[in-house]
Amino acid sequence: MRTNDVMLQTATKVVTFIILMFAVHIFFAGHYTPGGGFVGGLLTTSAIVLLMLAFDLETVKKILPINYVSMTAVGLLLALATAAASIIFDVPFFTHAYDYYDLPLFGNTSLHSALLFDVGVYLVVVGVTMTIIQTIGEDG
Amino acid sequence: MALQILLNFFLAFVWMFMTVSFSPAGFAIGFIVGLGIITLMRRFFSYRLYTSRAWAVVKLFLLFLKELSMSSIQVLRIVIKPNMNLKPAIFELETELQEDWEITLLSALITLTPGTLVIGISNDQKKLYIHALDFEDIDDAVSSIKETFERAILEVSRP
Repeated sequence: MRTNDVMLQTATKVVTFIILMFAVHIFFAGHYTPGGGFVGGLLTTSAIVLLMLAFDLETVKKILPINYVSMTAVGLLLALATAAASIIFDVPFFTHAYDYYDLPLFGNTSLHSALLFDVGVYLVVVGVTMTIIQTIGEDG
Repeated sequence: MALQILLNFFLAFVWMFMTVSFSPAGFAIGFIVGLGIITLMRRFFSYRLYTSRAWAVVKLFLLFLKELSMSSIQVLRIVIKPNMNLKPAIFELETELQEDWEITLLSALITLTPGTLVIGISNDQKKLYIHALDFEDIDDAVSSIKETFERAILEVSRP
């Protein structure tokens, strides 16, 4: 018998957004404070897993129609491309560059190419964990 | 729609508390990040994303400005013409709109564009009676209003 999950589902509807928000914050905080692509990716996955617990696999697939295998591939490619881009500028592999820019809203911000590498890490972490959870979940 | 905007504001405040940046810029960044997350999760809601409705409002406003300027020129030409062989008429427009505010908005838009004037609305709120300053064809006038204003209002009110 399936119990009525209305309380879990209603709470999930709000909490998911807060977790995703926190994931974005942790992801960008990674350069100066604890955080980064790995935890950010895991937090994002935890938000999606919460959705899967409250609803079911099919609903979550409808809400987020993402192919997590290709997401992993895109993440790996992005990380590799960021590392390889330094070769073009005649510096050793994995050399990062940064500079300060005056962005609207953000003020004086340093943009670092490590961010792109972190985006790659983030995509790989989300892609791999979601692939594992989805494959295990679908068999049962 | 109101719920989505409320959630977006709530997320912006959550962001401000997370990043400890209590400034307008912090709020704006949080709002943009929250909008991104809501866009990602848009299939979670049973209705459209609120930005598409906001965009429909902007389009309705631009359409109103365009119609206003074009028909103003038309009326100006009628006024400065030496001979006044006008063909005024009162015709009936059947509307699909149902909500009170939709009908009010449609009537206001028809009245504000020069050349046409709403003089009455039927009791069952299905027909508008419109006075046209100079008309050639009823079907033309009806279909042009339906094509422009009514469709744009429907686009705004669609859930």
